[in-house]
Amino acid sequence: MKKVLLAFSITWCLALAGIAQAQAPAAAPAAAAAPVPITDADIKGVAAPKTEDRAAGDPAGTLTGSVADIPVGDAKAGLSVGDVVNLVGQHQIAINFVWTLVTGFLVMFMQAGFAIVETGLGRAKNANHTMMMNFMVYGIGMLAYWLIGFSIQEGGVGAVANLGGTPPLNGEFVVHLLGKDWGLFGTKGMMLGGATYDVGVMVMFLFQMVFMDTALTIVTGTAAERWKYSAFLISSFIMGAFTYPLFGNWAWGGGWLATLGTNYGLGHGYADFAGSGVVHSIGGVTALAMAIIIGPRIGKFRRDGTPNAIPGHDIVLVLLGCFILAFGWFGFNPGSTLGASANGNLRISSVAVNTMLAGMAGSFSAMYYMWLRYGKPDASMTGNGFLAGLVAITAPSGFVNPMASVVIGLIAGVLCALSCEFVERKLKLDDVVGAISVHGTNGLFGVIAVGLFADGKSNYGGSWNGVPGSVTGLFYGDAGQLVAQLIGVATLLGFVFTMSFVINAVLEAVWGHRVSAKVELEGLDIPEMGALGYPEFALKPEPVLAD
Amino acid sequence: MGFVGIIVTFVGFLIAAGSVGIMSGTGGRMVLVLVGIAVSLFGILGLINPAYQKNAIWKK
Repeated sequence: MKKVLLAFSITWCLALAGIAQAQAPAAAPAAAAAPVPITDADIKGVAAPKTEDRAAGDPAGTLTGSVADIPVGDAKAGLSVGDVVNLVGQHQIAINFVWTLVTGFLVMFMQAGFAIVETGLGRAKNANHTMMMNFMVYGIGMLAYWLIGFSIQEGGVGAVANLGGTPPLNGEFVVHLLGKDWGLFGTKGMMLGGATYDVGVMVMFLFQMVFMDTALTIVTGTAAERWKYSAFLISSFIMGAFTYPLFGNWAWGGGWLATLGTNYGLGHGYADFAGSGVVHSIGGVTALAMAIIIGPRIGKFRRDGTPNAIPGHDIVLVLLGCFILAFGWFGFNPGSTLGASANGNLRISSVAVNTMLAGMAGSFSAMYYMWLRYGKPDASMTGNGFLAGLVAITAPSGFVNPMASVVIGLIAGVLCALSCEFVERKLKLDDVVGAISVHGTNGLFGVIAVGLFADGKSNYGGSWNGVPGSVTGLFYGDAGQLVAQLIGVATLLGFVFTMSFVINAVLEAVWGHRVSAKVELEGLDIPEMGALGYPEFALKPEPVLAD
Repeated sequence: MGFVGIIVTFVGFLIAAGSVGIMSGTGGRMVLVLVGIAVSLFGILGLINPAYQKNAIWKK
C-alpha cells in the first residue's frame, strides 16, 4: 500500500511541477501594415514559372503550384480577382472536406479496436463469434443507416457551413408543443437519392455513419458469449435504422434538444461536441437493456448471487485495442468540428490535446483505484479507465480547457471502476467488457461535464445551435446550459433506454436472443459460426461449477 | 412489474422534457429535470431489473 501511495505521490508531484514551469514571454508581434485593395491588374502582373524551368524538374518544390494553376472563368478576360476569390472559397471547403473525411477514416478504424478489445475480454472458445459480430456490425449498421437512418438523423439539419452548405438536407418533421416547434426527425437523404446526391452530403454521410457504427458495436461487447448471431443482426439493424438516428436528430440534426437554447433560453441548447451522449450513451443504455434481457453467462454468478471472475483470454489484444481506439479518437473528437479552416476550426488543436489528456488521466485514476483497492494495477480496468476518460471528454472536448480535461478524465477513471462494481455486484448484470460503465455511465457524465466545465472560450462561427456566443457551463456562469444537458441525460435514460428495451424485449419474445445452454458451454464458434477462432488451440473443457 | 418499470422510466423522460413548458425559471426546471432523471433511474434499477432478476439463470 505504501508503495502505491508513494508512486501516486511521485507521479502527481512531477505533473504539478510541469504545470508550475513558467514560459518565457513571447516577443511582441510587429504592427500590421494597412491592407491594400487588390485589383485584376495586380493579379495579371503575377508571373508564372517559365516553361523551360518547369521542364527541368522541380526537386525543391518551389515552382509547382503557382498562378498558372488557378482556373480562369473567362479565358478571354484572363485571370481576375473573382477567380482567385472563388478558388480561396473552394480551398476552404476542400480543407474541411479532407479533414472530415480523413478523421472519419480514423473513426472507421476504431471498429478494429473494439473488435479486439471485445474478443480479448471474451474466452477463446467464442473468439470467432465475437469477431464476426464486430466485423458485421459495420456492414449491417451501414446498410440500415444508408436505407433510412441517415435520413432520420440528418435529413433536416439544413446548411452546414463548413461543408459548403449541404442545402439538400432541408426536411425536418416538426410538431408544435408547449408553445414552440419541436423537431422530431429528418425526411431527406434516404439512400442518398435525389438532390442528396451531393458532394457535401456525401462527406456528412460518411462521417455520421462511422459514428453510428461505433454506438452499435458497444452493445456487442456487453452481450458477447451468449448472443444468438441472427438476433444480433436484427437488433443491430433496428438500432442503426431508428434508435440511434432519432436521438442523433434531436441532438445533432436540428431536433428539439438542439433548440432548447433558441426555444427556451437554456444556454446553447443540448451541446454534445462529439457524442458522449449521442454515440456512447446510446450504446451504453442499449447495452444495459440487453444485459437485463439476455441475462448473465452461465457461471458468472453463484447461487448466492456473488460473482465469479471470467477472465478474458488475451489481455495483449485488449490493451492493443485500447491504443487503436485512442488513435481513432483523434478522428472522433477533433473531426467533429467538420472542418479545419475558418469558423473557429483551428481549435482542433485544443480538442486533440483535451482528448489525449483525459484519456491519460482516466487510465491513471482507474489504475490507482484498483491498485489501492485490490493490491494490483489491474490491466483490463486500466484500459477501461483509459477509454472512460476518452468517452467522458468526447462531449466537452470542444468547449473546455486542458485543466478541466484532466479533471474530467480523473473522475471518469474512478467512476468507471465504481460503476463496474455496482453493475456486477448490486445489479447482478453480466457485462463482458464493462461497456455499460465505460460508455453508458461515463457517456452521461461527459454530457453533464459540458454543463459544468465549458469555459465560454470556444467560438465556432460565433454561435452554437443558433445561440450567439460560446457554450458556457455552470462553473463559468450559465446554469441554463446544465439544465439543457440534464434534459439530454433524462432523454437518454427515459426515452432511448425505453425504446431499446421494448425493441429488444419484443425481439426476445418472437425470435430469442440467447443461444442454448449446450451451445454456450461448448462455445459459440462451432455451433453459430461453423469454425473455431483458434482451431489449433486445445481449449480447456468448461469446469463443473460448484454452488 | 417489468411493464410498470417501462412506463415509469418513460414518465421520467416526460417530466424532464415537459419541465421547459411547466416552469419558466432555471432553478425550477433544474429541480423538475432532476426529478425526471430520478424517476427514470428508479424505473430501470428499481423495477425493470429486479423483475428480470426474479428468474435469473443463476437462481435455477
